[in-house]
Amino acid sequence: MSAAAQYLALSKRAALNTIRQPTSVVPAMLFPLLFIAMSSGALNRSISIPGFPKVDSFIQFGIPATIVQGVLFGAVGAGAAMATDIENGFFERLMASPVSRTSILVGRLAGAALMAFTQAWLFLGVITIFGVDIEGGIVAVFLISLVAAVLGAGIGAIAVSMGIRTGSSEAVQGAFPLLFAGLFLSSAFFPRNLMTGWFRSVANFNPLSHLIEGIRTQIITGIDLGDWATALGIAAGIGAFGLILAGRALDGRLKADHS
Amino acid sequence: MPSSTSPIIAEGLVRRFGKIEAVSGVDLEIASGEVFGFLGPNGAGKSTTVRMLTTLLRPTEGRASVAGYDVVKDADAVRRSIGVALQDAAIDPLMTGRELLRLQAVLHGIDKTEGKRRGEELLDTVGLSGAADRRVGTYSGGMRRRLDLALALIHAPIVLFLDEPTTGLDPNSRVALWDEVRRLNKESGTTVFLTTQYLEEADQLASRIAIIDGGKIVASGAPSQLKAEVGEPTLRVALSPGQEEGPAEAALLDFGKPVPESTGHVAIRLNGGAGRVGAVARVLDEQGIKIEGLELHNPSLDDVFQRATGRRLEGAEETGDVAEVPAE
Repeated sequence: MSAAAQYLALSKRAALNTIRQPTSVVPAMLFPLLFIAMSSGALNRSISIPGFPKVDSFIQFGIPATIVQGVLFGAVGAGAAMATDIENGFFERLMASPVSRTSILVGRLAGAALMAFTQAWLFLGVITIFGVDIEGGIVAVFLISLVAAVLGAGIGAIAVSMGIRTGSSEAVQGAFPLLFAGLFLSSAFFPRNLMTGWFRSVANFNPLSHLIEGIRTQIITGIDLGDWATALGIAAGIGAFGLILAGRALDGRLKADHS
Repeated sequence: MPSSTSPIIAEGLVRRFGKIEAVSGVDLEIASGEVFGFLGPNGAGKSTTVRMLTTLLRPTEGRASVAGYDVVKDADAVRRSIGVALQDAAIDPLMTGRELLRLQAVLHGIDKTEGKRRGEELLDTVGLSGAADRRVGTYSGGMRRRLDLALALIHAPIVLFLDEPTTGLDPNSRVALWDEVRRLNKESGTTVFLTTQYLEEADQLASRIAIIDGGKIVASGAPSQLKAEVGEPTLRVALSPGQEEGPAEAALLDFGKPVPESTGHVAIRLNGGAGRVGAVARVLDEQGIKIEGLELHNPSLDDVFQRATGRRLEGAEETGDVAEVPAE
């Protein structure tokens, strides 16, 4: 009972921390929407290029990238919050309490997952209001939100591992452009079949391409559980990788204090 | 199972950081219900010792037990038995006082109803009921410290560690916190391990103290006993501007052993006690030594520190019973 209560209490704290910092929530909610709105203005004619997937608008094509972009924002926030806990000594308070070490990670990652889940609903809700169709309907929104939540926890775990290792919120935030570059080097804003050269090779190799395409299918063609499972699997893979990194980082910090 | 009746025992505790030895063989045995003061200047090894005793640092050598549990082998049991308020009141500024107390209760495995009851009780105890739903970021330094104390007490710990609990507080907040610690110790019998760089704090709160300097304990005992061991009071002479210190030091040699002092002052350990102040004043006057005043300090913990280390402790001017004799 105690461990579950600890997970829940630390998750609630992470969620409260996020909600109570408008400076971190608002950009994560607003910037991705602004970005897709501006990209749409510039790139809407690209949807008529032969070979481009059949979509109603560039927004319908690009909204999965918006979701992933929002997730990156939120995840970096989780890592920065962990670093802040280390900077201000709250992490040490936790260490001096009989709290399970995993619940410290789980709490933070649950906060990142909740944020990503909410972002997915918000972004998809906003584009629906502006007349963009989601072919898979409400079921697709739910399925996409699940992928976003798992991805949020996964990338959150990577950011949290940076936070634990560096103990500096600035250092974690400084890593954001690297994650963002990973998004651009994927099929987030352009279909892979129309790419050429090294860019196409990188995008083929980039797991975010396959994750984004798995989400995109639900929006532009309707429910496809195979593609959804691929997206979810990639998110889970990133999650497993992130958890290993975060777990090692936590062990490393504890050993540094105990060496 | 707890292995001993003394709630804190340290034997040959050593902690090195690379080539630096922060703590060099500390031995401690603290009795149940005692308020123990661990006194020393910045960098003496106080916080490093506390961090080892609270399981946050593993000792390089030696062993320690807290609440009967080994700090390395039974770290979780130690954490369940102790309350810790570390330096700088590490409190999440985005949460309210009430939320933090509930969180801390959950982390200690206290059920919801009991956690709520205990939280309200502690908020009342530390005088924060009215501010319980305000975010901690809006609290003053004194309020944060009081909340920190309440957080450390949520699970009614056997041993309470307070690491420099009043550093940075104004005098009123400092006194209020001392009252809380006294009351807590008296009412619940909690053993308190208090580190401080303030002599007055150790003097006011601790039934027994240890003075640490350069990672080693240089004196320990009851404050009154340690001060009695110093013996004679210190006579401090403030010289008038332009008055050389040499002649004054020479004139005072007959009255007692010199004590290091700041520029413009001379001091001695006055043989024969307060009754000889008049004689000192006469000799200084006869020899034409111009002074601004005389201060007689009964032995303080600073004198204890000075006797043990050959130098004064930072913040020493904050303590000691002083009888001031203005110059005519």
